[in-house]
Amino acid sequence: MRTWRSWLAVLPAAALVLTACDPGDDPAEEPVTEEPDLDEEAEEEPDDAEVDEEAADDVVRADADLVIWADDLRTPVLEPFGDEFGDQNEVNVTVQEVPFDDIRDRLITAGPAGEGPDIIIGAHDWLGELVANGVIATVDLAGVEGELEDIAVEAFTFEGQTYGLPYATENVALYRNTDLVPEVPGSWDELEETATALQDDDEVQQGLVWPTEPADPYHNYPVVTAYGGYVFGQTDDGTYDPSDLGIDSDGAIEAAQKFDELITTGVLSPDISYDLMVDLFSGGDAAFAVTGPWALGDMEGVPFEVTPIPDIEGGTPEPFVGVQGFMISAFAENELLAQTFLTDFMATEEAQIELFEAGTRPPALTAALEQVADDPNFEGFAEAAADGVPMPAIPEMASVWDAWTNAYELIYEGAQEPEEAFSDAADQIRTLID
Amino acid sequence: MSTTTSPPDTELHGSASGGTGVDARLRTGEHPLSRVADSLSGLLVKLVLVAAFNALGIFMLVRMASLDAPWYGLVMTLVTTIALNVIYLGKRNLPLKYLIPGTLFLLVFQAWPFVYTFFIAFTNYSTGQILTQDQAIERIEQLSVTTLPDAPRFDAVPFADGDDLALLLSDQQGQEFLGVPDDGLVPLQELEVVRDADQVVEVEGYERLSLGAAQDRIDELTEMRVPIEAGEVQLVSLTTATLREQTRFYDPETDRLIDEATGTTYVASERGRFVSEDGTETLTPGWRVVVGWENFAEVFTNEAIRGPFGRVLVWTYAFAFLSTFLTFAVGLGIAITLNDARVKGRKFYRLAMIIPYALPTFMTALIWRGMMNRSFGVLNDMLGVAVPWLNDPNWARFSVVLVNLWFGFPYMFLICTAALQSIPDDVYEAASIDGAGGWQRFHGITLPLLLIATAPVLVATFAFNFNNFNVVYLLTGGNPPIVGAATPAGHTDILISYTYRIAFESGGGQNFGLGATVAILTFVLVAVMAVLSFRWIRPLEEINE
Repeated sequence: MRTWRSWLAVLPAAALVLTACDPGDDPAEEPVTEEPDLDEEAEEEPDDAEVDEEAADDVVRADADLVIWADDLRTPVLEPFGDEFGDQNEVNVTVQEVPFDDIRDRLITAGPAGEGPDIIIGAHDWLGELVANGVIATVDLAGVEGELEDIAVEAFTFEGQTYGLPYATENVALYRNTDLVPEVPGSWDELEETATALQDDDEVQQGLVWPTEPADPYHNYPVVTAYGGYVFGQTDDGTYDPSDLGIDSDGAIEAAQKFDELITTGVLSPDISYDLMVDLFSGGDAAFAVTGPWALGDMEGVPFEVTPIPDIEGGTPEPFVGVQGFMISAFAENELLAQTFLTDFMATEEAQIELFEAGTRPPALTAALEQVADDPNFEGFAEAAADGVPMPAIPEMASVWDAWTNAYELIYEGAQEPEEAFSDAADQIRTLID
Repeated sequence: MSTTTSPPDTELHGSASGGTGVDARLRTGEHPLSRVADSLSGLLVKLVLVAAFNALGIFMLVRMASLDAPWYGLVMTLVTTIALNVIYLGKRNLPLKYLIPGTLFLLVFQAWPFVYTFFIAFTNYSTGQILTQDQAIERIEQLSVTTLPDAPRFDAVPFADGDDLALLLSDQQGQEFLGVPDDGLVPLQELEVVRDADQVVEVEGYERLSLGAAQDRIDELTEMRVPIEAGEVQLVSLTTATLREQTRFYDPETDRLIDEATGTTYVASERGRFVSEDGTETLTPGWRVVVGWENFAEVFTNEAIRGPFGRVLVWTYAFAFLSTFLTFAVGLGIAITLNDARVKGRKFYRLAMIIPYALPTFMTALIWRGMMNRSFGVLNDMLGVAVPWLNDPNWARFSVVLVNLWFGFPYMFLICTAALQSIPDDVYEAASIDGAGGWQRFHGITLPLLLIATAPVLVATFAFNFNNFNVVYLLTGGNPPIVGAATPAGHTDILISYTYRIAFESGGGQNFGLGATVAILTFVLVAVMAVLSFRWIRPLEEINE
């Protein structure tokens, strides 16, 4: 059954060719749920076009006993560990570089065809789709579970089973230009006042920059949760329940009204793209920014500090926490070897610290996290993460982004009343899920 | 071999009329020596090419055989390779020598994707339904294997005595056992142990397996189970073992899956899922099955898809028509201007016109997006205005067409320049003598003659823009959103970007079957347009005759 599978990767392209269209942009490659990486990986890979054209080809498993697919940031880190592991176990290990956003889709096509890797790196919110497709195997974390951050393990737990070894967490928090604002704002109102005052005095172009173009439900989520809103309800064991959609819950509607107010009063501009946010903040033209650790390197133009977003009207903002980790393919040639590499080699301080240095995201191993916690920025992200909730990994989440983004855009444009925009989005999502 | 000496047409006719006519003509050629030289080098080239193709064919056969490819793939590759050898090494089959490469490319790049897309449209191929049934069964069985709560964990080292395998296990308290399949755990103290520098190297004839040797027997090690009171110990990595239990088992005789923990029986459904007998529980993952016309029915009946469909379709036609018409008008205008000998520096301008065409859409569409930003974009900054280029529905439609015009006019400019240069000057001279003015010459001569040459291009451009995913997706993402739409849709969404939202960004993941279905329906729409257009063009062509 190899032939039809090898064409799966080409399908979207083929479908477009069929109707005389340029297949340059393979739609299946676009990130669907991994919102933070939408911005960040684009930064890291200026030659997107090339990458996408390759998408029509299969990435074929390298000829080795243990094959790992990792992105450009982590491949150089993993290679020496792979070599060492290979020497110890008398096997050969190959790390193949695959763009982060492509790994999921390529595993889905290459895995069942027998051409996939043994191990991939990925984000925990891929689990829903990967598990539904039956392309990843469970990972036995029992031996190392206690050494990992709880939220990281929770994120990689899906329907009662663990599917990955986490190595890093990521979430948004508040970046503050310490030249312009030396003190941490004690509350959201104080933040608004400071931002508005700086803006009115023309000290900055925009007091608070927040990615709003396109609207970004991922960055907006802390505000929603501060008002008690939520995306999906959680059962007692933390599993997200797709039948309990919270986008039109009272708290979420209040958050929608808040965004309407923030735009109307000019605290937020509706025209800030991710790149603009980075430019404005790192150029000293903004006092506050809200985004994740992936932007740390780009913000270096000004002195800054990272702290959790302050409480909003008494409610604590709970950002989505994304967790990156290693997963084992269900079609791995040697599952025991893959499992050994993960628990014996990747759940170590040394490995997690090196992955941290390459990816600038707080490590998931507690001991490694403690080592980097001296850096106040990572402390800020870690504090924010402590209040956070894992990003839902259920496949239904795919239906949420587009509808919710649209609702925010309508609010930003004043095209619809905030409460209507959110309840329409909730209706759309329910229609799509059914 | 003769390809280097005579044009294809002659040969085709020659061969069709007499079979050996070409060879005869070759033999009686005027320059026998040069022909021999040509045919020698031609022969060499041919041999090298055929050899290269054979090498590729053999490589593919070997690779396919090693990957358990289906038999028809092997047969097709084999037949193609043999056929090519027969055709190109033989002296006959001259027409085929010309037809085969084109036919092969047509089959590979046009027919096969079409057939494949068509096939996918009749399946439920989507997230959760990508495996074969056998793979799905194996996954369901594997996923039912769980580590028991509070199960003891052991550090493990594989040992072997000839064909027999065993595990040296040490529990959390540091107690050591030899675990033997069928026999269970035996404390190490009771056994004859050989140690070398604290490391156990031999127990009761079982020798420590080197890691390389363990790799060679990895399947046996994976399957190995050591019974203890609470269950069976098995390896979870090459260094640890624990108690695990599998609860779901497939019974091939009844084609049912049985969960031994709950006693539930699951039956394979026509939808490619195992469903419990009472119909309440469905197992993950499923497999791909043929569902007939279901996807087509879904497109027409599902409210989620049908909702904004009409609006999107109207805008798709408008966008494609406007894009085609405007690029043609602008391209033609510039081509006529630059075709006039009085314009100085024409070469420079012509080069400059090509720039938008030469830059990758990916980069430039995103740059346009930045330039059109309402508050921070260069456009509004320079003009000193606050136009909502991408935020207001009508402005956004305007911007998409504008940017697409920028992308598209250089191509039209190229085509029109070429076509203009092929119109003989004496026609214009004659018209001037007859007293025709500029507009009359354009309307009476240039445009009709140009349309004959460019009409097929216009039809192709329309078809291309009908599916111009890149520009829409990168510039506006289909937005601004339509208020109150049943499913997410935007004012600048065209059919293909809307399909993308439905098939790949919503529901429970990706729905390739539905995507393929809409691709086929789109193809029908475009094909109908093309046929109608060509019928409309035909009278124009007759003018030329």
